Amino acid sequence: MGIYLKDINLKGKTALITGATKGLGRGAAEAIAESGGNIIAIGRNQSELDSLGKKIRKLKVKYTSFKCDVNNYNKIKNFINNLKQLDVLVNNAGTNIPETFLNVKKSSLETILNVNTKAVFNIAQLCANQIIKLKKKQGSIINISSIFGLVAGQKRTVYSMTKFGVEGLTKGMALDLAKYNIRVNSVCPNIVLTPRTKKYFDDKKYNKYVKDNTPIKKVVTISDVATSITFLASEASSMITGSSIVIDGGWTAK
Amino acid sequence: MLKKINLKNKTALVTGSGKGLGKACAIALAEAGARVIILSRTKSDLDKVSKIIKRTKGSSKSFVCDVTQLKEFKKILQKITRLDILVNNAGNNRPEHFTKVKQENMEYLTNLNMKAAFNVAQLCSQKMVKAKNRKKIGGSIIHMSSQLGKVGCEGRNVYNMNKFGVEGLARGMAVELAEYNIRVNTVCPTFVETPMVKKFFKNKKFKKQMLDNIPLRRAAKESDVATAVAFLAADSSEMITGTSLVVDGGWTAQ
Repeated sequence: MGIYLKDINLKGKTALITGATKGLGRGAAEAIAESGGNIIAIGRNQSELDSLGKKIRKLKVKYTSFKCDVNNYNKIKNFINNLKQLDVLVNNAGTNIPETFLNVKKSSLETILNVNTKAVFNIAQLCANQIIKLKKKQGSIINISSIFGLVAGQKRTVYSMTKFGVEGLTKGMALDLAKYNIRVNSVCPNIVLTPRTKKYFDDKKYNKYVKDNTPIKKVVTISDVATSITFLASEASSMITGSSIVIDGGWTAK
Repeated sequence: MLKKINLKNKTALVTGSGKGLGKACAIALAEAGARVIILSRTKSDLDKVSKIIKRTKGSSKSFVCDVTQLKEFKKILQKITRLDILVNNAGNNRPEHFTKVKQENMEYLTNLNMKAAFNVAQLCSQKMVKAKNRKKIGGSIIHMSSQLGKVGCEGRNVYNMNKFGVEGLARGMAVELAEYNIRVNTVCPTFVETPMVKKFFKNKKFKKQMLDNIPLRRAAKESDVATAVAFLAADSSEMITGTSLVVDGGWTAQ
């Protein structure tokens, strides 16, 4: 900590991360652990949770994992309500099934709404209540949104509907939780190269579409997003709430 | 995974850095390792800032300059060999009800907050693109905007006009300078505990009215804004361009 420059430091803080085993969630877990934060990882795959644990423990922070589908409300409620430490939530678990509006299947709509909207809401509510119950002086919740929470994209109607929703939720939560000094923000990345999006990038046409729409002609990395998440999680951003950090290489500036 | 806020080997120019936010930004950038060029109209203010930077083992160079005097600023730029970061900070405000705004105040504020902001940004960009390795090492321009670049406020119509303008300028610049890997963003603070705002806050009624509009019920500290600026200046934000970091305690989320 300098006179005016605040460190991105999460020593002594505990962060719960959903969808922690892959992609952005895994990156967030690693970045938060690198800045000293303890990690509670939620994911569906035990062996991936274990391999993440190996990596996190090397950074000399505490690691807890819980195998659970974020749609399983009762199971996750029971887990969160019994946490002894919680300061930060990275509300990351999300999904997408790209289909043109006219052909969106009822099952796709259900799946995306359940994960990206209902589970995001439920986990945020459970964690906020727990942070308040633990009488923490401050807290930070980061919802993982997207540029498609700000603008539309082809075959992204349901995804945009859910991510625009997350933007609204973020602002509403920020107002309701301000009196507890719990800050709520979102990060809005461009399409990040992750295990889930790799199949899109393999398509040459899609690859070109992303590059053509990104003025800085680079793909956003997991590390770019994880750094912004960690900044928002830490007290380096103690006056930032109800807002979004847009990590899109200029996509939405056009 | 985490990209630290590190400005080693970077040169940053901060306008209006004799006091308030500019001073805080200059010191924060120096704390992150940058060589800082500080500009102000008042030599005694510059001397004080240089002293603080020296005390923290940072490096700075100062020039007396009124940024509305384009020729003066051009001459100073000629004396600088390298420039990687611009914090386009110099600005002012003279609150008046719209029907009562004096012509001279509108002229003064618009010349400083828009015209000088544009000119300084253009001249610095021209200098920055000349560096042969610019594309590789990147560059960053941060405009000091305001929450009033996002929403209206009583008695702030000229300031609103100026800062909404700066938001537009930042997006336009971001799109055009992307090809040089120069990123352009704004920081939008709420009321910050600066000498300028402390003067406004002497009016208790005004202070209460303002704090009632900030969900976190506190004014921002200079370090909150300076840290956000340092984050945008550094490679920690290397895919963030054409956007704003809103440091407003939730003001604009409502």
